[in-house]
Amino acid sequence: MDLAGFLFDAFSLPFMARALAVMAVLSLVAGVVGVLVNLRGLEFISDGLTHAVFPGIAVGFVWGGQQGLFAGAMIAALVAAVTLTLIARSSVPTDAGIAVVFTAMFSVGVIVVTREADYAGQLEQLLFGRLLTVGPAEVVQTIVICGVALLVVLVTLKEQVFRAFDHTGFTAAGYRPLLLDLLLNSAIALVVVAASSAVGNLLVLAVLIVPGAVARLLTSRLWLLFPLAALFSGVAAWLGLALGYAASVDFGVDLPSGATVVLVLVAGHAVVLLARLAVDRVRGRTAR
Amino acid sequence: MNANTPALAVSGASFSYGREPALEQITFELAPGEAVALIGPNGSGKSTLLKGILGLIPRVGGTVEVLGEATAAAGTVGYLPQTEELDPQFPITLEQVVMMGRYRSLGWLRLPSKRDREAVARALDTVGLTARAKSRFGELSGGQQKRGLLARALVSGPRLLLLDEPFNGLDPENRDALIGTVERLKARGVALLVSTHDLELARAVCEEVLLLNGSQVAFGPRDRVLTLDNVQRTFQGVGVEMDEHTVVLPGHEGH
Repeated sequence: MDLAGFLFDAFSLPFMARALAVMAVLSLVAGVVGVLVNLRGLEFISDGLTHAVFPGIAVGFVWGGQQGLFAGAMIAALVAAVTLTLIARSSVPTDAGIAVVFTAMFSVGVIVVTREADYAGQLEQLLFGRLLTVGPAEVVQTIVICGVALLVVLVTLKEQVFRAFDHTGFTAAGYRPLLLDLLLNSAIALVVVAASSAVGNLLVLAVLIVPGAVARLLTSRLWLLFPLAALFSGVAAWLGLALGYAASVDFGVDLPSGATVVLVLVAGHAVVLLARLAVDRVRGRTAR
Repeated sequence: MNANTPALAVSGASFSYGREPALEQITFELAPGEAVALIGPNGSGKSTLLKGILGLIPRVGGTVEVLGEATAAAGTVGYLPQTEELDPQFPITLEQVVMMGRYRSLGWLRLPSKRDREAVARALDTVGLTARAKSRFGELSGGQQKRGLLARALVSGPRLLLLDEPFNGLDPENRDALIGTVERLKARGVALLVSTHDLELARAVCEEVLLLNGSQVAFGPRDRVLTLDNVQRTFQGVGVEMDEHTVVLPGHEGH
């Protein structure tokens, strides 16, 4: 099979095309939001959010199946975003607060799911996603939720960057950081929700964090970070899906698609990191 | 507002982070085109007063008026924070940092226009950093970073500037550049409140002095206020020598 066949053939199948559509939209938005996560150092808070959204997903799923999943996740996400913003403002050490509240919520989610008869399969789905079986309705839901997250971030982008760079200067200029923090945390939560059925609750974090980190390695030009992160994660998603398909069809190896995409993301990060180190080393030598 | 309206009027103001007041009973005025030096030992409330005037720390008593208004309009007050808190790895150029000073008057969703870019170029020119406009902020020296943040404070054309320890850790070249900038700003009618523990510097650029030590020790024209007695009361427990020309404090890195 040639390269073009590897890259394009799989996506003539409707379920593969849907998976690609979901991953493409998700990558674009997670890339942009992820750059802000990186600039603000919100990786741990994002992890907290993925844990917090889980009980919402679980309750929604048990209560209303696939349709309930989005509704439940959405409610949990917004509650978590507000709670988290307030914890971060309080005098309690933030990391401990987040860890306590959100692992507790995750446990609640696990207990809710285990009340169901066939819980093992469902738990797996919720944690690791089911990218290849997303239906047309979920594609639309993903696009809408990602669209809202992207809008929230784009409307406040220059202010978010200002706040990330210099909190004191930002407040002194007359801005209210609380509002911006609420908006950014909500956008992160929305990405977590949108990604939940595709790559699952546990792997969302990679989609949020890896592209931003890669973009930081590739450039120190501020406004280039956002398109680079989105582009990188889009390409990784595409390659990951094509790779999973080829492994299954040509070699008979069944790879879970969400995890394959994440591994491609991480492999891409490793390549870029090594390249960066090599470049810095060469530059260091010529500078001396 | 008329020509006699002070740029800043603080009357009986107290500020507090929590239950205990951090700074009490501050009263002074600052006229356009003049500079007040804010002098006191570490922890005497210099930064607290600057942040309190900006509204970053709650005021628990008294009044603060900027250009005769209780709430300063966007862009009328410029602030130079201490630079130590900034991430040197942050991917941003000096020019982009200075542009942040225009964001408030620019408003949400609007991108900088040609006018904004010209204002940034002028501010960089004022602080003498035009050649470094495209440099990454974290690559600049400490003194250049300070001048860069000063440009950010200037770029919205403020009438009042609050500078927090602008001369701390500056080499002579940056120090002279900054003194020159302060003089030019005063000539343009900008009022400045400058915190420092460099008494010599206070004498060089400020008409009036406010001595702080948890509360107000003294305020007035610098030659009247900078007496041995006042300075000793401000820096309690720290030996102070004084002659006709200079005040020398132990640990003070003067020239």
